[in-house]
Amino acid sequence: MSLSVSIKKRFKGFNLDVNFETSGEYLGILGASGSGKSMTLKCIAGVETPDEGRIVLNGRVLFDSDKKINVRPQVRNVGYLFQNYALFPNMTAEENIGAGLKLPKKEKKIKINELIKSFQLEGLEYKYPSQLSGGQQQRVALARIFAYDPEILLLDEPFSALDSYLKEQLQTEVLEMLQLYKGEVLMVTHSRDEVYKFCKNIVITDKGSSVLLGDTKEIFKKPKLLSAARLAGCENISKCEVLSSHSVKAVDWDILLETKETLPQNINYVGICAHTFKIVDNDDNKEEQNIVVCKINKIVEGVFEYTILVENENSEQKNNNSTIWLKVRKEEWDNKKSKGNLYLRIPEDAILILK
Amino acid sequence: MDWSPMLISLKTASLSIIITFFVGIFASRWVVGMKSDKLRIIIDGVLTMPLVLPPTVVGFFILLILGVKRPIGKFLLEFLSVKIVFSWTATVIAAVVVSFPLMYRSARGAFEQVDKTLIMAARTLGMSERSIFWRIMMPIALPGVASGGVLSFARGLGEFGATAMIAGNIANKTRTLPLAIYSEVAAGNMEGAYGYVAVVLIVSFVVLSLMNYFTLKGRKYTKYTNKDEVK
Amino acid sequence: MKKCISVVLIICLVFSLAGCSDKSASKQAIDATTNNNAAEITEEAAAPAAKEETILIAAAASLKNCVSDELIPMFETKYPNIKVDATYDSSGKLQTQIEEGADVDVFMSAAMKQMNALDEKELMVTDSIVKLLENKIVLIVPKDSDKNITSFEDILKADTIAVGDPESVPAGQYAKETFENLKIWDQVTIKSSLGTNVTEVLNWVAEGSADAGVVYATDAASNENIQVVAEAPEGSVSKVIYPVGIVKASEKQESAKLFIEFLHSEEAMSVFEKYGFIAVR
Repeated sequence: MSLSVSIKKRFKGFNLDVNFETSGEYLGILGASGSGKSMTLKCIAGVETPDEGRIVLNGRVLFDSDKKINVRPQVRNVGYLFQNYALFPNMTAEENIGAGLKLPKKEKKIKINELIKSFQLEGLEYKYPSQLSGGQQQRVALARIFAYDPEILLLDEPFSALDSYLKEQLQTEVLEMLQLYKGEVLMVTHSRDEVYKFCKNIVITDKGSSVLLGDTKEIFKKPKLLSAARLAGCENISKCEVLSSHSVKAVDWDILLETKETLPQNINYVGICAHTFKIVDNDDNKEEQNIVVCKINKIVEGVFEYTILVENENSEQKNNNSTIWLKVRKEEWDNKKSKGNLYLRIPEDAILILK
Repeated sequence: MDWSPMLISLKTASLSIIITFFVGIFASRWVVGMKSDKLRIIIDGVLTMPLVLPPTVVGFFILLILGVKRPIGKFLLEFLSVKIVFSWTATVIAAVVVSFPLMYRSARGAFEQVDKTLIMAARTLGMSERSIFWRIMMPIALPGVASGGVLSFARGLGEFGATAMIAGNIANKTRTLPLAIYSEVAAGNMEGAYGYVAVVLIVSFVVLSLMNYFTLKGRKYTKYTNKDEVK
Repeated sequence: MKKCISVVLIICLVFSLAGCSDKSASKQAIDATTNNNAAEITEEAAAPAAKEETILIAAAASLKNCVSDELIPMFETKYPNIKVDATYDSSGKLQTQIEEGADVDVFMSAAMKQMNALDEKELMVTDSIVKLLENKIVLIVPKDSDKNITSFEDILKADTIAVGDPESVPAGQYAKETFENLKIWDQVTIKSSLGTNVTEVLNWVAEGSADAGVVYATDAASNENIQVVAEAPEGSVSKVIYPVGIVKASEKQESAKLFIEFLHSEEAMSVFEKYGFIAVR
């Protein structure tokens, strides 16, 4: 099981330049909207053609611009789940499922019935897509794809069309169904939760280029790139100045950070995720490193946590990016309600070093 | 009242709509599938021309091709003994040429409105291009295509200028309803014209109602999914 | 942006339509004011046609070539203050238009029938009606025709025959009369394509669409793609008389009269004869 993609395509506004390889594990493609994720999937499926490059699936060359190979989508044996499911509105669920099947009538009927059972669509066979709920449509779309046993499954933002309270349930269901699938799975999404849940590995795209490839959890922990950090959801990112091999200044917040590890020279930003700050009690620990005294500007109450917007009290900088976001679980905050200033400690492993 | 113009018009319009329907669909499929934008603009312009030219000018161009003094017409006459001008066939040709753009544009509009992801999905599922056209595009585009057909039927029925030029005004052969009406009016015979005009009005009204019916029916497929239903 | 463009286009369309139809109305308005001014200024000058005027003549299609190419320019040179507009069509259609109130000053018909009809309805100045020209009815075939049609009797050799609609086109009436006298009209009808004016008939034969046709001698002279094979046999058809008259509702009867007088002049008659007409003197 392997897929290797290396393609370029010119567009109005940006250029697609994506390179990655995967073998067997679920690969997520994470990027902002319009960063070329869907286009990458479409090139793999063959419904769009890159300007140059090479795509190889399980040893079969699907596209090679040098050798002028461009296999028709019809025979690439690729399963593509579109964001809007692309169910044919003029066909019933049953007919949709059978649309890609090339079998004699009897066998076709048997196969379709099997799929209807596996995807829990009994009773809905004769309904038209407009009569089905979002979740049911998704199951029909998946059944339609599984019908012809594709070598790779391309999921294009599979959960973005669903209401949030259905999402969780469906995500679990879909995950279960996919356990049975033996091929490659590629999932495009702009949601970090989804990619964290589903995909062992991840490719990060930024303005059309693939910028980072690796283990999902690792990357989320240590994003290494500004775009990756943003996508991973890091709320606080500041321009930085490296002062020595063990100290760096977060310029926007006017905070000096000291590290035990040696710092690389070519870093431009530091990031601190909102939930990684440690609130410490008052003055005892003033000598400790990486402590910042904050002025609280605003407290926003969420369902399970507070989002607190603060500023470095001692900052000499006054710029747009001086706000620091802090997220604290409600119980923790309520218990530690200290009078006066807020003391935050930044653990060394929470400092993200970014290019 | 002489019923022959009505029968001739009916025969002409019926045959012409069958021809126009399929030619229009295939032409629009061809244009929609074109890769080059420049070529598409040029071809579309040419195919739409009969709609904007005065019918007599259209008749003039047809005559340039099929007239017996012109190369092609002469060839047909000498070698195949076929004379198209002043025959009933010419009424059909005139009707087809002037009503074609209506069919072509309606069909093209209907096909272009089909959700492109459906076509992409169909391709990944392994459906051949022909299968995609007949099993997905046509059914979804059918209301728009049908209303185009109805519109072009009406146009073919009312065709006059080009018909007079290439088919002539021969009673029981090429005198269509519009030609008959014109003759009656030119002769000052208003009473004779009324009967024919009434027929044309009724047919036009029925035709327009059909067109509206098809357009409404088509709304069903443009409202694609019903994601709001909770299950 | 799109809305603006369509609004502008619609306005242009409306103006051009209004312009077309209202030409005569606005011209009349302009004429009226210039008339008043001219009348005031030139009170002493007793020149009869000192006022600027435009007259509209409605003439049969077969008159178009000689009238518009030569006679009108000649008249306008002679009378620089009178402008002549003209409309040409089948006499039947022109008759209908005059009955419906068209702003015509002079009517030149290709047959007495239409003129008489208007006169009976008291739409013409009866005294002004004169027989101006005579024309001949001829049989024509496409140049290089191989059907060997040499006379009116031969016409049934043709597969399709072009004649004017007898109901509305005088040339068609005459054709019908000729063929009735030859006892073959019923058979001719079956193969006939009826034109709504003589020019249409001529074009059908010139293009070869019809194998033969019946038109005026003057029409045949104007088109080189046809050949005349015969004149209507003596006595088989009544004389083709072209009358001319002033429409009673005309407000420019003076100028109209001048025009008709001019048509009678020697110079005008020699032009008519050049085109194949016969002068009625």
